[in-house]
Amino acid sequence: MTLIELNNVSKIYDGTAVPVKAVDEVHLNIEEGEFTAIVGPSGSGKTTLLNLIGGLDQPTAGKIFIDGTDISTFKPDELINFRLHHIGFVFQAYNLIPVFTAKENVEFIMLLQKIPKAEREKKAIEFLKAVGLEDRINSKPTELSGGQQQRVAVARALASTPSFVLADEPTANLDSVSADSLLDLMENLNRDHKMTFVFSTHDNRVIQRAHRVITLRDGAVESDKVKDEILSQKS
Amino acid sequence: MLLTLAWRNIWRNKKRSLIIISAVAVGLCCGLFASAAMFGMWDSMINTTIDRDIGHFQIHSKSFEDEKLVTDTIPGFENILSTLKSTKYVSGVTSRILIEGMASSATTSSGVRILGINPETEKKVTSIYKHIIKGNYFGETWKNQIVIGEKLADNLGLREKSKIVLGFQGIDGSIIYGAFRVTGIFRTESSTFDKSNVFVKEDDLLKLIDSDKISNEIVVRLSSVQQVDSVYIPIKNKFSNLSVKYWGELAPELNFYYQSVVLQSNIFVGIILFALLFGITNTMLMSVMERVREFGVLMAVGMKRSRVFFMIIMETISLSFIGGVVGLILALILIEYFGSVGINLSAFTEGLSQWSLGTQLYTSLPFSFYPPLVLMILVTAVISAFYPALKAIKLKPATAIRTY
Repeated sequence: MTLIELNNVSKIYDGTAVPVKAVDEVHLNIEEGEFTAIVGPSGSGKTTLLNLIGGLDQPTAGKIFIDGTDISTFKPDELINFRLHHIGFVFQAYNLIPVFTAKENVEFIMLLQKIPKAEREKKAIEFLKAVGLEDRINSKPTELSGGQQQRVAVARALASTPSFVLADEPTANLDSVSADSLLDLMENLNRDHKMTFVFSTHDNRVIQRAHRVITLRDGAVESDKVKDEILSQKS
Repeated sequence: MLLTLAWRNIWRNKKRSLIIISAVAVGLCCGLFASAAMFGMWDSMINTTIDRDIGHFQIHSKSFEDEKLVTDTIPGFENILSTLKSTKYVSGVTSRILIEGMASSATTSSGVRILGINPETEKKVTSIYKHIIKGNYFGETWKNQIVIGEKLADNLGLREKSKIVLGFQGIDGSIIYGAFRVTGIFRTESSTFDKSNVFVKEDDLLKLIDSDKISNEIVVRLSSVQQVDSVYIPIKNKFSNLSVKYWGELAPELNFYYQSVVLQSNIFVGIILFALLFGITNTMLMSVMERVREFGVLMAVGMKRSRVFFMIIMETISLSFIGGVVGLILALILIEYFGSVGINLSAFTEGLSQWSLGTQLYTSLPFSFYPPLVLMILVTAVISAFYPALKAIKLKPATAIRTY
């Protein structure tokens, strides 16, 4: 079932002297349960494309359907509400709320969804257990390592029970052990719970584990390959 | 949880929060203390005026209001006096004869108001006897004793036991002169009062004007100023053929001064809060600019802009409220302390006496001043937070989350 559908999507930044076409007429379908990496050199439009899929930005042209809903015409507040219920985010710099504990960071998303206190507390602990942080529930972000913070970020992304998780360079700030551990966690979630992950990355470790790799160049899709094709190309 | 987040955000930068809390607290404390000093002055003016000569309320004949002639007497004043004496909360009643006249010494003369009093009943109503600085309060055995103010004594070159001649119009219109001897010299907080009022025994004055007992003025003293309304209004209704006025009507300048004190205090505190508004806005703006990425993340993960706005408003209100409460407590302690100990202003005696003020200033602030003040603090906080909060909700999440 198609989860994300981009129809002829373009994004032009015209605030500068010369308008910049960051995303150029992209057609893309991402199915439920995919583990997809969007790759490309710096300036190729990965982040802009991810922002458009995540409803953080609006396309200049084209349509974006998430779960069959056209979000390209949503107003800012409608987009916020849509993101809250449909999209989980994992950022490069973890971006946890520094004054909250790990549990509170996870719980906060459910508070925004108006889930009752007892239920959200229980779920927050479950999610933190799922990412292997049951012993750091009451730690604040400054008391956690980068890898642990990113795990909390994953738990937070899952807490809203989203349709898919967008991860923007999730391993960029992690050492290799933490990065592998995080990717194991995401792979397991994808395999066991059919959670769809879309990555924007430069990291080969992510690319190697991805089931599908979409390469962008100058805002356009240069190649779109599934794992079998990648492996056959390598061999 | 949103309130918890707002509260914890305040303490992320403790030094900055404490600085703005201190600014609010000190500013408010100073403003309240200055207001309390102004209200204290007003209290002092009222109390000294009530205490010195006007009492809590007075009764005159209606015709006395126009020309203040000795012939404008109160009909049936003895019955009124006995009614008042048996009235609840009345602690003292006295009757006076009032005549405008001239006081002359061997060298010069001056216009005065002659008060013919009963020294004993007058003691229960006013405090002139407490202000005697030379001689005594009608304590001699000779006839035609007079008690005058220090300022008048200086102007006329009089001392204790000096002779003074009073000249005034009698009941029949003829000019009457009477020689008196100074038995006491008083000094009150008002130099104006001291140079224009002289006290003589009513019996001596009645003999001079050749009249039976009369009264131009009845002065009533109550056990507390709070009882004025409960006593004065029924008396006013009962003696509707007479002019019954409470202290605020008798000394309208005090009421005017009170209104101006209220206005000045509000303006003063308003200016302080207005200045603080910029300080709080600056602090909150700094706080918002430091957290651009965080606001971006909050909005990216689904926090509505209205909630972000509310959170910043709550942070600002909390900051201002803490400062406000600390300022209020500090101000209350200072006002209470100086309200009982007083502030010594004896260095300004000369100037203060022009305004009927004592040299000891006791601070006081009416309770009714506090609720509007709390409201003003909250309004200031909301206004201060408005611009930073707008700045935060105008952030674009996609850009904000990449701000370092």
